[in-house]
Amino acid sequence: MTHHFSEDELTLYYYGEGRRRHDVERHLESCAACSTTYREIAGTLAMIAAPEVPERGDQYGLEVWQRIRHKLPERESGLSKFSRFWGFSGFSGFSGFSEFPRFGVAAATALLMIAAFIGGRVWQQRSAAPAVTTATNLENREHPANPANLGSANSANQILLTSVADHLDQSERVLTDIMNAPRGDISAEQRWANDLLDASRLYRQDAVDAGERSVAAILDDLERSLIEIVNSPSKISAADLEQIRRRIDAASLLFKVRVMSDELRKREDAPDRSTPRSSTSTRVTS
Amino acid sequence: MDATEAAAVLARARQGDSDAFRALVEQHSRSVFRLAYRMTGNEQDAEDVVQESFLRAYRQLGRFESRANFGTWLYRIVSNCSVDLMRSKQARHDQVRGDSLDEGAQELPAADVPGPERMAQSAEIDRRVRHALQELSPLERAAFTLRHYEGRSIDEISATLGLGTSAAKHSVFRAVKKLRIALAPLRSQES
Repeated sequence: MTHHFSEDELTLYYYGEGRRRHDVERHLESCAACSTTYREIAGTLAMIAAPEVPERGDQYGLEVWQRIRHKLPERESGLSKFSRFWGFSGFSGFSGFSEFPRFGVAAATALLMIAAFIGGRVWQQRSAAPAVTTATNLENREHPANPANLGSANSANQILLTSVADHLDQSERVLTDIMNAPRGDISAEQRWANDLLDASRLYRQDAVDAGERSVAAILDDLERSLIEIVNSPSKISAADLEQIRRRIDAASLLFKVRVMSDELRKREDAPDRSTPRSSTSTRVTS
Repeated sequence: MDATEAAAVLARARQGDSDAFRALVEQHSRSVFRLAYRMTGNEQDAEDVVQESFLRAYRQLGRFESRANFGTWLYRIVSNCSVDLMRSKQARHDQVRGDSLDEGAQELPAADVPGPERMAQSAEIDRRVRHALQELSPLERAAFTLRHYEGRSIDEISATLGLGTSAAKHSVFRAVKKLRIALAPLRSQES
């Protein structure tokens, strides 16, 4: 029986990739069906010429510098190893994107909330017995003799935490979009949430394995919300959308995500990067 | 700028020397714009991506490993900034327009359906292609741009976009499938 090649295999062949290239080549010579499909693929892709990029002059670099020089943010000082996840998928708030003013407002709100939250915690710590559970406390209480806990945040753990912080930043954007979306079509948010869902599961499992329980707890909450968003109808009714929002609100999810992302960034920059900081690795016990 | 000089500039930039960072901006701006334009297909969006990419690069420069290639590192940042921008735009625009390929094809006004002569014009093909590209999801478009325009391998696309190899591959496949469907009328006119 003749083995035909799929469209995907033929696409790879067109781009000079894929294994069994020689087999494909020989097959195309003798199979009219595959040959027709390949011609269609090749014909379509041949139509798509690289767009002509508008010219930028020699002074363009200088112009870009003039535009950004006053916007240069404070530098992150992390020296840890580079994970392919961070930096690439990390979210910086798109302060330069004038089309999205609401994100500037959201960022300012998040900063205020974090400041209020941290301020409140400092006050609590000074004036009363600790009212919050830290990841360190939790771990030490549950596994006091586990030597892994003493140096639990090894370099792999740091990479995980930084990747998770980036992931939380992206998730925050999806949640913010959902919270602000007018009723109607949420298919774009659903696709975005779907892209994040698998990563969220993997990070949660990694966090559990690394003993980062508070991180795992928030990722668990986040995963549930992402699943709900993904599984909702794309053309969502106002009532259904409101219900999703209420659940996000009820779990204080946006707040937790923002705080945890900030906490992880701080831990990344902490001088002693090997131990989760009790002052920052807060478990939100709402 | 030779390799030794470039390494020295990069080292100074990593230490917070803004003049050194300026040199990097001036050196890479045009190539960053070119990639951003191919990714977004829009001049204003590309300018936004250029700015955001350099701001993001500056913020994250402390994480950059000096052994790595700065251009490659920046390339990844630009690619991901473009995806983020397109996602944000799509999230907003999808509120008012259908986002399936079929719906997208129907969006072209009937009066715009070109006759055989006009169909032959490359401008019309470009317009159709641009429209078809706009209908791709941000990830599909980014993966397709990297594969088709930039000549990156699936493995490189995977590394650039922080995806698994399979996800990168399927993003390209989905893009090609959608483009085939969207551009089929042009092909039938041709044949």
